[in-house]
Amino acid sequence: MLQSLLSELKRFICLKTAVASFLIYVFIVPIANATEIVVNQSVPVREFSLNNIRAIFTMRQRFWPNGEQIKVFTLADQHSLHKSFSKNQLQMFPHQLRRVWDRIVFSGTGQAPVTLENEQEMIDKISTTPSAIGYLSRDPDNEKIRLFVSQ
Amino acid sequence: MKRYDYLLVNKFLVCCIGLLISLQVQAQFWPEDLKVHGFLTQNFFHTSDNNVYGQSDDGISPGLTEIGLNLSYQPFKRLTLSAQGLYRRAGKVGGGVVRLDYGVADLNLFNYQNGRVGIRGGRIKIPFGLYNETRDVAFTNPTILLPQGIYFDRSRSLLVSADGGSLYADHRTEFGDFYFKFNLGMPLGDNEEIRSSILGPAAKGQIKASPAFATQLSYELNGGETVFAVSFMNLKLKYQPTVADFISAGNTTIRPLLFSAQYNGEKLGLTAEYQYRWNDYKGYVVIANTQFVTESWYIQGSYRFLPQVQGIVRYDTYSSDIEDRGGQRAARNGLPNHLAYAKDWMLGIRWDITPTLMLRTEYHRVHGTAWLAQSDNQDQSKTKQDWDLYALQISYRF
Repeated sequence: MLQSLLSELKRFICLKTAVASFLIYVFIVPIANATEIVVNQSVPVREFSLNNIRAIFTMRQRFWPNGEQIKVFTLADQHSLHKSFSKNQLQMFPHQLRRVWDRIVFSGTGQAPVTLENEQEMIDKISTTPSAIGYLSRDPDNEKIRLFVSQ
Repeated sequence: MKRYDYLLVNKFLVCCIGLLISLQVQAQFWPEDLKVHGFLTQNFFHTSDNNVYGQSDDGISPGLTEIGLNLSYQPFKRLTLSAQGLYRRAGKVGGGVVRLDYGVADLNLFNYQNGRVGIRGGRIKIPFGLYNETRDVAFTNPTILLPQGIYFDRSRSLLVSADGGSLYADHRTEFGDFYFKFNLGMPLGDNEEIRSSILGPAAKGQIKASPAFATQLSYELNGGETVFAVSFMNLKLKYQPTVADFISAGNTTIRPLLFSAQYNGEKLGLTAEYQYRWNDYKGYVVIANTQFVTESWYIQGSYRFLPQVQGIVRYDTYSSDIEDRGGQRAARNGLPNHLAYAKDWMLGIRWDITPTLMLRTEYHRVHGTAWLAQSDNQDQSKTKQDWDLYALQISYRF
């Protein structure tokens, strides 16, 4: 009787650990790595595909469908938010983005995005620059900034 | 005094760059749409035999300095103007001069959801293989010396940029992205190195290039994780002899076809390129009309041990005539047979100290002398077949 109770208890603990680790994986880990793609409220597009977003951040898609030029903002290559943005949203590594930008900048075939210092500056720029796109670790709750949603 | 002229030029350029940076910092003087970037690279070479970039045999040559400064401005939505000035001092091949590397007006003609089409005009970089368009920018190159079997330094002026026009098109699909470029223009090739690499050290006349085309199609998967490219060029050179020349006027056509493949993983990088080049000599009296094929290829692997530290290994091979891989023809003309080939094993390590400062070093074991510059090795009979090359590079960018 006592034994079966003990084994029941063990199973319960095991289950609890499993559930806890499951919860950690589902909620905590993504939160730690979360990046939200954000745009200025003037941007006419509501959602994006992986293809679109890569083309925008590699500076190959230069205009929104309404003809306005896309203003791309990023953080420095070694910034943790930039790393998780490129990995999770673009599914690319920061050195791959750097390779693309360097090629266009030093061959005279395009311009690199504007690099900002930190997240606060990103909030300021996205909220004040029409047609801007960038990324943040969470929804800034700013009426000038809208989340860009994956298709 | 003349030997030290480059130091003055260096100082002048450093001042200019400093001024630009300080202007950029004081943002009120700087239009937001004007983008400025640049780089400074200093290289050091030591060789066991033969010279590269000056006197490197039995010494250390600081003979390769590259300083670039570029501006990009967008006066209208669809028009971008960019220009880059390049100061380059490379041994005796290109003595310290500042020249316009590119000066381009880029007009975006139309855009659609999955691509764009545009034209460029002015002095345009030549798309050739994976590295040619940014061949002088250390940060974009895998190694200090690019694989010389394909990216020759001695005849570089034919390959760097051309004055003319270009059509480009991008098309993105669910199964990868296509990039196409077609350039038509006048290459800048007109120097002694090109003459000697084509006609040998005894020719004294002038080499003039005719308008040439260069085209490239590349296909990229996963935003450039995997890249495939095909490049083709058609170069025509006319030789004008001097009065006492033993070579008569003639024409040389060079048509390189280059296949490229690259994988850029998180830590592992793999690259291979294969070049098949048709050469055609016509009209020269002392040289019989001749056609031959040059072949070169390399395979390169890199590994990122730490985010800032990368190791690299490469094997690069070149045969100037696939029907004479051993150099019998050179030997018959009284020249060393090893002028006909070069096989190069290299090992290197790169350290990105900060995102804007990089230090790297590499070792090459070379068998053959095909890509050595004539001007650094005046007497070809004294060159050695097997030699070692050590290089060190420090580069800053902004």
